[in-house]
Amino acid sequence: MTRLIRFLTTPVPRGRIAAFRTVIYLFVAADLVWFTPWVRSHSAIPGVFYRPLLVGRLLHLPTPTPLLVNGIFWILIPIALLAATGRAPRLLGWTVFALYFEWMIIAMSYGKVDHDRFGLLVALAVLPTAGHARHGDAVTTERGGWALRMVQLAVIATYFLSSWAKLRFGGIGWVTSATLERAIIRRGTPVTDLLTSRHWILVAAQCGILVFELSSPIIFLVPQRVRYWITAYFYAFHAMVMATITISFAPHQAAMASFLPLEKVRPITWARALIGRLVSARRPATGPAAPAAESTLRFLLATGVDSGTPIDTPAMPATVPEA
Amino acid sequence: MKPTVAGAASAPDRLSSRGRLIRVVVTLAATALLLFGTLWGQDDLFPFGPFRMYAVADRLDDPVADTRFELVDTSGAAVELTQNNTGIRRAEIEGQLGRFRADPSLLRVIDQAYAARNPNAPAAVTLRIVIRWNDLKDGIPTGNYHDETVAIWNPPAVDR
Repeated sequence: MTRLIRFLTTPVPRGRIAAFRTVIYLFVAADLVWFTPWVRSHSAIPGVFYRPLLVGRLLHLPTPTPLLVNGIFWILIPIALLAATGRAPRLLGWTVFALYFEWMIIAMSYGKVDHDRFGLLVALAVLPTAGHARHGDAVTTERGGWALRMVQLAVIATYFLSSWAKLRFGGIGWVTSATLERAIIRRGTPVTDLLTSRHWILVAAQCGILVFELSSPIIFLVPQRVRYWITAYFYAFHAMVMATITISFAPHQAAMASFLPLEKVRPITWARALIGRLVSARRPATGPAAPAAESTLRFLLATGVDSGTPIDTPAMPATVPEA
Repeated sequence: MKPTVAGAASAPDRLSSRGRLIRVVVTLAATALLLFGTLWGQDDLFPFGPFRMYAVADRLDDPVADTRFELVDTSGAAVELTQNNTGIRRAEIEGQLGRFRADPSLLRVIDQAYAARNPNAPAAVTLRIVIRWNDLKDGIPTGNYHDETVAIWNPPAVDR
């Protein structure tokens, strides 16, 4: 039991939670607009086509109308962007979770359920519990550790349990079946035309998929460095799936970032340092009065998503407000 | 944890035993729900249903269904209907194919969705769902196929 608890609550740097939050909430906004824009088009589909999922029936959720669908769309985007800054993680986090969950019920209640976002939904459910976190903060957090571990488990469960589902619905004969052939006929690309001429290529691919999915939990047993390689392999797998049968699994890939040391990726700090260097290089020529555009940029950076880190470059003009 | 006191922010954030207990219970409950869904559930149990993408074993000599939906408009032109011009995904049509078979007038849903997205397009006189059955031999397409019209419906003129 103690080992289980230690595994579930392995501390992580707060900076990683902050960065993961930014990734996930930015993804939610991008998902609405870019990755699954078809959800919004359900607003124009007559209600008779709506077949609510169990959770929708239990919660007595209303049949989607243009007002409901567009209302969620326009409310969720700004709230997700605000949540991406890391402010009010509990209030904004739960709000995003509730709205996005309803968005997903609207998405999946018309005859087709997708299986590419269990990890993302878990991420949205646990991030509000991860506590305050600032970008770059190296201090560790157990509640943040639990949140990330849950997302990691959800990502691996998606692989591992999907091979269970293959054995349940397809049986062991799935390995030698024409399942990939069917996928390629229905949504293939020029890349796949090379593969369809030989059935054994697809059988080998199906065999590989099953082995890959069943062995995915190994990621929790290997040293950290190997874990990064396995994660890279997962991303490569999805690139291949996208190239062959045009299925992106993007939400799952966003959740998979929970395996990465995201706290080391500091675009705003890097940009700030770069500007600092540029400014100090230019200072002798431009004199003491900093150009207005420069101080505006500094102000934006100082109040941006990375506000946790104080501005400490020596070239900072005295007029810049505190973050 | 709210770092309101100076110094508190730099202390590692440790869970209370209650916090730990709650998290372990939540973890086990979610795991149980997911295992139940995987073993006995269906898609209806979303998000805890089985991850059944491409889980069906298609037989090597069974034809592969490629479903399409299309309309013929008043100008006589055939328009292929897609997610882009109707907002309805093909898999959603396939997921409710039984309803279209039983009641082809349900095609009015597609007609209305198309009209809503293409207000200036000529009205539809016929809508239909067609499955193209691609023949397979030992898991390889033979190039032969036959089309099956699953549902066909002519909107009444007053509809548009």
